[in-house]
Amino acid sequence: MKARPSRSLLAISTTALALPGIAIADAPPVNSSLSYQVSNYKEDDLSREESPFGDLGRYDIDVHQFQFISPLGRNFSLQVDANYEDISGASPWFTTIGPSGSPIVSLSGASGIEDSRGELSVGTRYYLENGSIGGNIGYSEENDYRATYGGINAERHFNNDLTTVSVSLSYSSDDIFPTDAEIFNRVISEDKSSTSAVVSISQIINQVSTFQTAFSITEQSGFLTDPYKLIDTRPDNKTQIAWSNSYRRYIRGSDAAWHVNYRFYHDDFGVTSHTADMSWHQNFGNTIQVIPMLRYYNQSAADFFTNVDDFSRPATDFQSSDYRLSAFGAISAGLTVKTTVGDWDATLTGERYLADEKYSAFNVSQPSAALIRYFRVSLGLDFSF
Amino acid sequence: MGSHCEVQFFDDSRVYAKRLAKKLTDEASRLEKKYSRFRSDSFLSQINAQAGAKNGIEIDQETLLLFDHALTCYEQSEGLFDITSGRLSRIWNFKGGQVPDQKLIADALERTGFDKLNWHQSRLLIPEGMEIDFGGIVKEYAADSLARLARASGYNSGLLNLGGDFSVIGPMPEQKSWPIGITQPDSTGSIMATVNLSDGGLASSGDYERFFFFEGERYSHILNPKTGWPSKGLRAVSVASHLCTVAGSMASIAMLKSESDGIQWLVDSSLPHVYMRQDGSIGGPSSNV
Repeated sequence: MKARPSRSLLAISTTALALPGIAIADAPPVNSSLSYQVSNYKEDDLSREESPFGDLGRYDIDVHQFQFISPLGRNFSLQVDANYEDISGASPWFTTIGPSGSPIVSLSGASGIEDSRGELSVGTRYYLENGSIGGNIGYSEENDYRATYGGINAERHFNNDLTTVSVSLSYSSDDIFPTDAEIFNRVISEDKSSTSAVVSISQIINQVSTFQTAFSITEQSGFLTDPYKLIDTRPDNKTQIAWSNSYRRYIRGSDAAWHVNYRFYHDDFGVTSHTADMSWHQNFGNTIQVIPMLRYYNQSAADFFTNVDDFSRPATDFQSSDYRLSAFGAISAGLTVKTTVGDWDATLTGERYLADEKYSAFNVSQPSAALIRYFRVSLGLDFSF
Repeated sequence: MGSHCEVQFFDDSRVYAKRLAKKLTDEASRLEKKYSRFRSDSFLSQINAQAGAKNGIEIDQETLLLFDHALTCYEQSEGLFDITSGRLSRIWNFKGGQVPDQKLIADALERTGFDKLNWHQSRLLIPEGMEIDFGGIVKEYAADSLARLARASGYNSGLLNLGGDFSVIGPMPEQKSWPIGITQPDSTGSIMATVNLSDGGLASSGDYERFFFFEGERYSHILNPKTGWPSKGLRAVSVASHLCTVAGSMASIAMLKSESDGIQWLVDSSLPHVYMRQDGSIGGPSSNV
């Protein structure tokens, strides 16, 4: 016969169950997780002033990303990533001087590009007492491009797990075979490779703040030119370095956290860029998080950038009117809402990005007429089981 | 934790086992560093150092919830379980067998009483001379917290023993429950009862090796915050519950009551328990297990 527990016992149990070390309901460890994210990236159309002739529509890309992470035995984990992209629109074909004397852009193809890209990557990690080592291989394919890549990385915790050092090496071998190569006198088939190394250090400063710094170097060689441009000649080698820093601080009184990031980038094409962003991660209870974000980006032009293609120069001279190699500044703002319901997490993000030479911190002598503005919206779902 | 602590669990991977052991030790030492009365750098010592300070001290969420639990124990025991009675334990020296001066006791009682605490949201103002002691709560809370941590790390078999307070991570292999021997309060080593525990926790309170005789009467080291004198109720109590924290609070309150009230309190709780009366006889539903 079981008697009813006393009122005192109920009262004492209630406050004991509220204690933080006890409060969280017992649950099996998160064994596996499955994530899906769908996003749409849409560049604004060009205006008639920017492109007086032909198509004005630029890239519109739908991206579907799947990820599966699961333990594999006691010491391994497995991660599978699959991405699918649907690309339509057009990219700049050539630039000339317009009637008003400013550069104007012609987009590729009368009806633009229709392409899709599929990618699959598989990775595994082996966990040791004070760190882990991992590796991955992947393959990506689209109509005119194929990439095969792989990487290894290792991570080690020091100093009572307060410091983490990680290193990674990766290699990618890419084949390029432009569509309609013969009609437009494009290259038939080219290839390039890139090798990259990253060293990163994370430090937990105290209970409420962390800092991470990472240095990376990437060496690209082979065909680095855009085959779809009427004229575009770039060096066969490119060395890129980047230094990224990230600081996070939890603000107890507000139940929110500041994330502040800064990245410096330089390559030997002559592009130097600075990216600074900050976001405020505001919790509302245990289930909702709202994250406003603001980012500023500034870059200098590549040494051989021209905002008007010069058809009089020999084809072997380096030149490119690719807007990504021009000097410009960009501002983007975003808002993310995350919510947790049971074993499900949902993330909704909207971002607006505006690139303009006027936003540059420096004087821009050759502004590109093809700088982009885009909207990006994405919805992600994560399920743990 | 100022006492013997051990953890037993099963794993076929030594690396995983060591990793969990480290996690548990880290959490145990975090709680010890935060709440030990015997460490001058603990947060509890900081709280006590602020006694009498005008602006008081800011209390974090975890400590706030411990105070909340202590308040419930204070209310449910009608003021017998009182974490503000730290001053009293300072003036009683059980090793010497001396009874402190009545004036000293009166003075300590003056500086005892949960209802004398002042809260301004999460800021706590403690009257001058008062001393907080989380004995009877924190060690039990640590046992539950560590067991939960182990379960969250994927362990479903194991037992934690923090100086006589037990918390079950999960039953022994083959779903067997853990046999826990409860020692006699006055003869070290001999077992007065064995309790089989397959989940939850078990906590004991008693005048284990810490008692004295005065004018022919036996006094435990457990002090009654109302009289300022040691309690004369049960000599030892062990309670099993779904949480070691609950078991500890229930056992401590039973010890503070008179012998008959303490037994009634345990019976009313309907929790498995075993106790030793003043005369050394053993009772309770778990006594013959």
